Amino acid sequence: MLFQDLIFWALAAVAVVGALGVVLLRDVFRSALLLVLVFLTVAGLFFFLAAEFLGIVQVLIYAGAISILIIFAIMLTQNVQEGNLPNGLQFAAVLLPALLLVALAFVAFDTDWRLIADLPAVGGTAVEDAAFRDNTFTLSKLLLENYALAFGAAGTLLLASIIGALSLVRER
Amino acid sequence: MYGFGLAKGLMVTLKNFIRPPFTIQYPEERIPQHPRFRGEEFAWYEERCTGCASCAKYCPLGIIKIVTSEGGRSPQEGGHYDIDVFDIDIGRCMFCGLCVEACPYDALFMGSGFERGRYERQDLVITVDELREAVKKPSTWFRPQLEDSGYDPHKDSALDWRAVGREKWEWHQREKAGARIKFRPARVGDKTQEGDGEARS
Amino acid sequence: MTPFLQENVVFREVYCFLGGNEGNASWCGGDGLLPGGFEWAAYFAAGFVIMFILVNAALLGAAVFVWSERRLLARFQARRGPNRWGPWGIFQPIADLLKLIIKEDIVPNAADRLAFTLVPIIMLMALLLSLAVMPFARNTYLVNLNVGILYIIAVSSMSTIAIFMAGWSSANKYAMFGAMRGVAMLISYEIPLVLSLVGVVLIVGSMSLVSVVEAQTVPFLLVQPLGALVFMLGISAELNRTPFDILEAESEIIAGYHTEYSGIKFALIQAAEMAGVLAASGFLATIFMGGWSGPFWSGQLGAFWFLVKLAGFVMLFIWIRATFPRLRIDQIMAFAWKFLLPLALINFLVTAVQVYFFGFYQGDVPGELTRNELWIMAAINIPVALIAIGIFGRFSREKVRVPEPVFQNIAPSPRTMEVD
Repeated sequence: MLFQDLIFWALAAVAVVGALGVVLLRDVFRSALLLVLVFLTVAGLFFFLAAEFLGIVQVLIYAGAISILIIFAIMLTQNVQEGNLPNGLQFAAVLLPALLLVALAFVAFDTDWRLIADLPAVGGTAVEDAAFRDNTFTLSKLLLENYALAFGAAGTLLLASIIGALSLVRER
Repeated sequence: MYGFGLAKGLMVTLKNFIRPPFTIQYPEERIPQHPRFRGEEFAWYEERCTGCASCAKYCPLGIIKIVTSEGGRSPQEGGHYDIDVFDIDIGRCMFCGLCVEACPYDALFMGSGFERGRYERQDLVITVDELREAVKKPSTWFRPQLEDSGYDPHKDSALDWRAVGREKWEWHQREKAGARIKFRPARVGDKTQEGDGEARS
Repeated sequence: MTPFLQENVVFREVYCFLGGNEGNASWCGGDGLLPGGFEWAAYFAAGFVIMFILVNAALLGAAVFVWSERRLLARFQARRGPNRWGPWGIFQPIADLLKLIIKEDIVPNAADRLAFTLVPIIMLMALLLSLAVMPFARNTYLVNLNVGILYIIAVSSMSTIAIFMAGWSSANKYAMFGAMRGVAMLISYEIPLVLSLVGVVLIVGSMSLVSVVEAQTVPFLLVQPLGALVFMLGISAELNRTPFDILEAESEIIAGYHTEYSGIKFALIQAAEMAGVLAASGFLATIFMGGWSGPFWSGQLGAFWFLVKLAGFVMLFIWIRATFPRLRIDQIMAFAWKFLLPLALINFLVTAVQVYFFGFYQGDVPGELTRNELWIMAAINIPVALIAIGIFGRFSREKVRVPEPVFQNIAPSPRTMEVD
């Protein structure tokens, strides 16, 4: 287990340092690149939790698409070379991440984390075991049966936002 | 239907794929050259040359240098100019062929070669010794007499000075251009000496 | 150790030779060379051997591909191609590589040095990572990841970031143009690319490439003609090959995103691109042509069948490159959004209905479609594909407005004309 612990701590350290870099660096482009790095390390952490579907989706959507959109937004920003200028939003910038941190900490301490290697030792239910062994299948079952309404609502929301964006930028 | 144009395009390239390549592997295989090709090495017949330097005067680039000296005898006695220097700077030549057109005695011909890559500009100058010792395969460019005889410098053997003129050889026994050859000093390897002796008598 | 690598032949041989069945690796035959407590070293060595083989095979394959592409492209243009060094000029890529290594490695003054240097590394890394899930023959793969199909798309989408980094960090406007165009194109083509594979995933009931190969009693090229077409076109856009090579269009923007690259960095970028074609052909062969399963002896000759299919797709890529001219950016985008995306969705819908109709997901456990059912699906899907291509080809046909001619009396002129 030493080996896996080593990799986990390395990933975690890179993620934290990268996230700090995202916030603290003056160069916007570099901080965007560091954001990609953070996404990738988080995907690695997902892999460690035996959630390979989530990890892959993290790489595909966040590292592959969202970060590109962020970089595109940076490209379209004026005066990129001057970097992050200070503004009057310090309070909001502290408050929001703090709330997010509290929520994440609650989730982190509340969840029963198990690595795939520990599985035989921990006697889980059949559903939990299946979720560890083939989490794509379980995830799709959960999304399309138990939480079908939420899934559909999220999809409708995304569709509505896409149509709204299109109608906003449409040439008249 | 949509996509037929794409399929047609693919078929065009496939047709080219099956066809044998057009490439000619140059050092191993060559394109057949035309006999009138204006090549880099000039064929110069000293026996026909009077040293008039018309070629040098007509050269638009001025790259032909001719230095002559008197032979010591008067022209009536059959005296002639010795040609000491005949330099052609191929590095600047544009192969217009005006020198060949200008030559009144059919002494200068375009060559038939095209491979004269050198590392130094100096090596691109054709000197008089080079011209004398070269294997003379004249191009038929601006020389209708060679064209009429069906001569092909790329296939046939080198030509003697008597064979390249626009007139019959017998003409030289009376006129000046041939006369100068009678008193030319013999040179090693010169095959035309016996013929000259006959002509003098 | 972790269970998933023990199915790999090379890994098992090296691991058992060195480590043996000390520790918890009980699947080895006997004792290994190393003393007890050192199985991590055996694990390392085995992993290193696999990576060494894979990386070298990928780069050597890229070299061979460069040679074969130049030769075949030359033949398509009625030329001969490189034929000087070695038999049929097969050592030409070595000469190219030597030249590129000897060249000066230039970094522009205004460039973002770190990002500029990272680009070739990320490109090659994305490519090599995608090879991890490819089944080369029976039981010859690095990982049997059960999200393999998503994995290859996710990992190859990393090269998009590399292209953007190259464009930005070069501090060159042509590199920036290339990167902007390219990223817009790559992001658009990822969507039909992912959707085209959904049909395959529905039929197989798993995203692991190994089970995709095992489920292919009928080649999915016949069962999923639309999916195969969309995947083929999408992946050739992802590879920046000629009909879609707007991000390195030589005649427009010098060399696009790698304008400023030279020397070994350029060589790495090229190697990643070339090996990318090999990897894409490999995935096409695996997903749509049955991978290592062949007409006979697919156990013993698996690698051979795989290579044959891969070579066929490589040939197809080269053929396409030799034939089609580069598209304009708006044509490329219209092609992705108006043609490929609807086709992928139709494929998804039709396949979903078929899979439902053939009673696939009965209860919790995914079943398997039989050979006959797959043939029926093929018989339905091929006409559907032809009809859909016809319909959407007509929809996405571009109407070009011809401007008013000045001398109208001289010749009658059509107001609009249809362009394919």
